[in-house]
Amino acid sequence: MMCLTRRLFLTLLLLFPSVYTPAAAAQDVPTVAAAASIQYALEEIAAAYERDTGAKVRLVFGSSGNLSRQIVQGAPFHLFMSADEHFVYDLRKRGAAVDEGVVYAVGRVALFVPKGSAIEADAQLADLARAIDDGRLRKFAMANPEHAPYGVAAQEVLEHKGLWTELRGRTVMGESISQAAQYVASGSAQAGLIALSLATQPNFRRAGSYVLLPEAWHTPLRQRMVVLKRGGESARNFYDYLQQPAAQAIFKKHGFETGEP
Amino acid sequence: MDWEALRLSLLLALATSVVLLPLGTMTARALAWSRFRGKWLLEAALTLPLVLPPTVLGYYLLVAMGAASPLGAFYERVFGHPLAFSFEGLIVASVIFNIPFALIPMQRAFEAIPLEVHQAALTCGISPLRSFFKVELPLAWPGVLSGMVMTAAHTVGEFGVVLMVGGAIPGETKTIAISIYDRVQAFDMQAAGMMSAMLLVISLFALGFTTRMGRR
Amino acid sequence: MLELRLAQQSPIPLDAQIRCETGELLALVGPSGSGKSTILKTIAGLMRGPVGRIVVNGDVWLDSASGAHVPAHRRRVGFVFQSYALFPHMTVLENVLAACDALREEDRLAQAYKWIEAVRMKGLEDARPARLSGGQQQRVALARALVREPQLLLLDEPFSAVDQLTRERLYEELAELRSRLSIPVVFVTHSLPEAQMLADRMVVLHHGRTLQSGTPDEIFLRPRTAEIARLVAHKNLGEAVVLGHDDRYTHVDWQGMQLAAAACPDLPPGTRVNWLIPPLDVRLVDMRFDDYTGRENIHCAEVESMVPLGGQVTVRVRMPNGQRLTLTATAHIVRKRAVEVGRVVDVSLLAESIHLMPREPEAAG
Repeated sequence: MMCLTRRLFLTLLLLFPSVYTPAAAAQDVPTVAAAASIQYALEEIAAAYERDTGAKVRLVFGSSGNLSRQIVQGAPFHLFMSADEHFVYDLRKRGAAVDEGVVYAVGRVALFVPKGSAIEADAQLADLARAIDDGRLRKFAMANPEHAPYGVAAQEVLEHKGLWTELRGRTVMGESISQAAQYVASGSAQAGLIALSLATQPNFRRAGSYVLLPEAWHTPLRQRMVVLKRGGESARNFYDYLQQPAAQAIFKKHGFETGEP
Repeated sequence: MDWEALRLSLLLALATSVVLLPLGTMTARALAWSRFRGKWLLEAALTLPLVLPPTVLGYYLLVAMGAASPLGAFYERVFGHPLAFSFEGLIVASVIFNIPFALIPMQRAFEAIPLEVHQAALTCGISPLRSFFKVELPLAWPGVLSGMVMTAAHTVGEFGVVLMVGGAIPGETKTIAISIYDRVQAFDMQAAGMMSAMLLVISLFALGFTTRMGRR
Repeated sequence: MLELRLAQQSPIPLDAQIRCETGELLALVGPSGSGKSTILKTIAGLMRGPVGRIVVNGDVWLDSASGAHVPAHRRRVGFVFQSYALFPHMTVLENVLAACDALREEDRLAQAYKWIEAVRMKGLEDARPARLSGGQQQRVALARALVREPQLLLLDEPFSAVDQLTRERLYEELAELRSRLSIPVVFVTHSLPEAQMLADRMVVLHHGRTLQSGTPDEIFLRPRTAEIARLVAHKNLGEAVVLGHDDRYTHVDWQGMQLAAAACPDLPPGTRVNWLIPPLDVRLVDMRFDDYTGRENIHCAEVESMVPLGGQVTVRVRMPNGQRLTLTATAHIVRKRAVEVGRVVDVSLLAESIHLMPREPEAAG
């Protein structure tokens, strides 16, 4: 038996010849805390960044609220890209950010309906309203307004259409917009309000259909980013890159609006 | 397949086991052979991580290790980065929430050694320390090994505490369990499925190994 | 030489005093719970509860008054446990070698082999305890206890778990080993006959108190109190009152019958006593055949029961005062005297063997 355990131990040891290397004390690779809604766009931008400049970035995604809480608790992030402006301003007030930052994109909200759902995705949410009454809608997915700006927007949309009070009891709230998207794409909910940038993704498109909702129905989703206190030169470089045409074009491709002052 | 995350998980499991091997063994032996008032309370406290919701554990660990805490602030001053949201922070959290997984099998193994065998070693002139290595540890070894394997397997699977304390930073604290969660959220079911299957196989082997050891 | 004085309140009350000379085999005797094993383990240093003083060959192993306490592994003691407690993961040889740390490196193997042979386990050095019989394990335990030539050998109920045949072999081995060692040997047993057969001296314990210590004969024939007499399972115990003394005997009144007993001038007339007589000293007499001179305490008695066992018969008789006595006679005599149940016979109680013990005040609990 000793023989076996020794073999096991050696095997484990061989699995990491690279003994754990200390954290990104290497400021060379900045860690970017980014809202879940920009996941696909940002991954593409980061790849382009590496191609163009040779520099790498590390990406961490989550709901804007969650990430900003972690930043306050001392998480080692260098750049924060929120899905709204409020969280950035809040960080600035707490002294965790170097300045007020800048808007990098504006997001849009879409109604998503999974394959096989009995509900139709129409831009006026008419069928949705009917589905609430006749019982076709049992669960509705959206992001939690407390943590995710897209959740706030979703609530505003529903209030605007007078559907909020009825829907409240039937919502499944994702802790981030991507979790909400996963709820509805998997069919756990019959319909949901998610980010356009997610609805347009291939794996979501395969899972159902969506319709873009009017901007006027909610406060504009101005998404703001800021360099954090920990951020150094490498973070600044990426921050600048994100505002340039190459990056902005990628944002646009993923359904964001760009060119905002 | 997120190899980086898998590597982190295995490394975390190894680090936790390495820390808990001497600590767990000595504590288990001390508990097995001692009797004192309030022992039941100590044992209950050490078993807590087994039944406590991981989020409760995560909460308390964040309070103890976060930037606002004395420990976190001190650590940041010395090392330049916070203890929470770092791999070292995960090791601390992992050691704590694995205590019962390591301790319970080990303690049972030491308790199973008949008292008279333990006493016989002393009457043979073997000092308590040498008796530990020569007599007790060889007899308790299957239980010790079992505890280590359980610890490692449990660590690879731990999610709630790691997420709260670690923050899912790739290459640092994004373990494979979190990676799976992340892939599900991104609706990348294929990747999630592959990684889940791999973890299932690892866990099965770990448990199989432990069960066989128990049969001895 | 071992000198011991121990006291304890709980969990088991203790109040013991023991002395064992070099080369002496001492038996600690008493019923379960009398503290025998506790005392033994305290001598070895395995229990820390009792307070008092333990001195072995001049070395102070325990002295509560001065706070001295030598840890168990530093006492050169050999201990054979009731469960033998061999190390299950080691072979016979390794078990014995485990006790050899104090010996010089080059001597260890030789000593181990020597003692394994001494306990007649030669050839089984590579066996594991699980494959050995109880008797074999005990012999290994003995070798392990003796290999480093301890100052004292302790055995905890060594014969209780063993069958008769093995027991007799072990008696022989123990006797033989004793001749090779000149150390005090203390063993614990609840079996009286065993203690009487093997021990040089005995200590009777009850509820943790040393009641009496002496040779087995002393204790059996002259127990100090009726309690001890009961503990050593005397068959004939009675209550009487001292009447008076003369130059040969002390006369007592036993429930209406007068008896002449071994002289005890210290007991004033009127003292209430317990008395005993061994069954062997209650003799069957026949007026027709025996000479009366020298016969003492002759009375007639009715035979109530007879139990033959081997060449002896245990006879229960009822005396004129209604009390019963047990006597042992050879089958031959019983046949010759045509003793049978219901017949009235004459019995003679040997005065010298009638032992008087002051009656204790009613013991509590």
